[in-house]
Amino acid sequence: MVTVELYGVPRLRAGASSVEVPAGKLASILHALASALPGLSPDIIRDGRLSEHALVAIDGREVVADPERVIADGATLVLISAAAGG
Amino acid sequence: MRGNFGRILLVELRGDRVAVEHVPLAPQVYRAFVGGVGLGAYLLWRFAPPGVDPLAPAAPLVYAFSPLLGTPLTTTAKFAVLCKSPLTGRISDGLSSSRFAIAAKRLGVDAIVVRGALDRLSWLHLDEDPAACRAVPCPAWAGLSAHELSDMASKQGLFRHVSAVGPAGERQVRYATISNDGRHAGRGGAGAVLGAKRVKAISVRGAAVAGVADAAGVQARARDLAARSAGAATEKYRALGTAANLETFDRLRILPRRNFQTVSIGQAAARRLAPEGLARAAEHVRESCAGCTIGCDHRYGGTRVEYETQFALGPLVDVDDPSRLLAAAGACDALGLDTISVGGTLAFAMECAERGLVDWPLRFGDDIVPWLGAIARREGLGDLLAEGTRRVAAAVGHGSERFACHVKGLELPGYEPRAMQTFALGLCVASRGADHNRSGAYQADLQPGVDRYRADVARAPARVIEAEDHAALLDSLILCKFLRGAIREPWREGAELLTMVTGLSQGEGDLRRVARRIAAVRHAFNVREGWTLAEDRLPDRFFDEALEDGASLRRADVAAMVDAYHAARGHVPHGGPDERLRRELELDAWLTDTPPLQAPASLG
Ligand code: SF4
Repeated sequence: MVTVELYGVPRLRAGASSVEVPAGKLASILHALASALPGLSPDIIRDGRLSEHALVAIDGREVVADPERVIADGATLVLISAAAGG
Repeated sequence: MRGNFGRILLVELRGDRVAVEHVPLAPQVYRAFVGGVGLGAYLLWRFAPPGVDPLAPAAPLVYAFSPLLGTPLTTTAKFAVLCKSPLTGRISDGLSSSRFAIAAKRLGVDAIVVRGALDRLSWLHLDEDPAACRAVPCPAWAGLSAHELSDMASKQGLFRHVSAVGPAGERQVRYATISNDGRHAGRGGAGAVLGAKRVKAISVRGAAVAGVADAAGVQARARDLAARSAGAATEKYRALGTAANLETFDRLRILPRRNFQTVSIGQAAARRLAPEGLARAAEHVRESCAGCTIGCDHRYGGTRVEYETQFALGPLVDVDDPSRLLAAAGACDALGLDTISVGGTLAFAMECAERGLVDWPLRFGDDIVPWLGAIARREGLGDLLAEGTRRVAAAVGHGSERFACHVKGLELPGYEPRAMQTFALGLCVASRGADHNRSGAYQADLQPGVDRYRADVARAPARVIEAEDHAALLDSLILCKFLRGAIREPWREGAELLTMVTGLSQGEGDLRRVARRIAAVRHAFNVREGWTLAEDRLPDRFFDEALEDGASLRRADVAAMVDAYHAARGHVPHGGPDERLRRELELDAWLTDTPPLQAPASLG
């Protein structure tokens, strides 16, 4: 399984701060996430892809976007708002 | 040309007298610099005597408006304030929103340049009718916050919109702000410059309208932009405000804590200081700047909190109690202190004390509110702390410069450069010192394909330049940066807006050259004021102390990125714009040393 932690608008939209989904390619993880947390569609996840309003980073370190990228079992993904500025 | 008036107001202060003069500007100035920080940088170059002491009467303070100001376009009720910074000795340019911006442009001018100084603390009234401009001594207003001043003045019917300094500006604290209807401008100490001129407050009265060239087009675009500003791209700002960054940054391990010693305060503390935690500590309301359809202004118990304030008065000084943080933020507002600089200076002083380098009664986690008052009034140790981190480090010595977290004298904003190495370059080269607003290069570190823990000498300079140029575009038009997510093609849309408003046809390529010209003029100003390559650097801490996860910066990498940045910008090694850049951007026409204009004749 992959743990997805949510922050900012994604958390607000989802109404959850963390959820577990099966490991696999990023595209399948996003599909699973959108099914588990419908509030993320369509502004955060659209057609199985992350919208431009959000970013996802493996363990908060590496921002990933390639839908083919395999996320290993046991990994943590951090889902945040794309607008980082302050 | 519409959208601008084609002239500025030159205000000369001497003794108890005020003289004003309208100075015409050629249309080429607007083509070359647009407005806001661009126009302001040009005017600062022309009006600041080379090498001037930033707090001397001869040092100008520039209020620069923009062509979009006064139109129905969302987030445009803003202006720029520029000066030579008393904190850094380099260019300082801040932006502020407010109804004051709208009222001031109605003086019928595109900028106000204030020079000279008065004998006594006074209220400066500027009027569309030059004969009605005056300075009124106001000793009874000494020590008032800008907010108290506004309240009192509107009750007495004196003025409605005001640009004013709090106690910190009066005492020339080097990082004092100018408050404009409750919104502050002045990273780098513009408030000290106004205070040095003994101006407590500026009020304005006028009814001039610059108009727009294509009224129907502007109206339609205003509706369209307002609709876009209500979409998902700006939801973070509306729903949570920038204060939502704190918990996210804690998780990303980029949240500086204890004077940049570590990068996390832990999940529980981060949640306490996050918007939800602040709302538990005090009543939450959302407001917005004048003419804004986003509304990112989240207030808790009446105090506006945004990320940089939250970081600097919270984790940076190791405060994790929301009530204490809110009290400190409220005090900075009232006193007119830049929150990043005061938080950074206090954090540095706390570390000096904890290391035993000084015997000051200051420790991480202390309630800082009493210190804020002492700094603003320059009482006791507050007098030294009012000088900012760089000067405090020089006074403390004992190698404390190693962990004095500033660039060019400006304290660092709330992003850890060891874990954001593109932004590390942005901090080094930013013209006003460690800065996140004129660059925004932190965005580049949070993109797919960017390894933020690696200094990418080949690509980072171009990323920083693009971020700086994008910011220069928005800051000269002026549009709020929080709208940027709703503007997919900023250069194209910027050109369209400008053409619609002014009637001067400008394309994307023209605006890209404008942005580069603004960067060149800022850099040239700094070179003229003594800049050397040696100041484009971060303190030793970031190279010699690794974060818990091993991240650190390498001196050779950062130096290589800085060199590559200057080469890509077209600067001669260790100097200003090179021959090609001067030609391409027609800089010789703008960077002239011809004295601009003498004092208005009425001052003799
Ligand atoms: S988005 Fe926020 S800072 Fe920008 S104009 Fe609106 S209220 Fe002001």
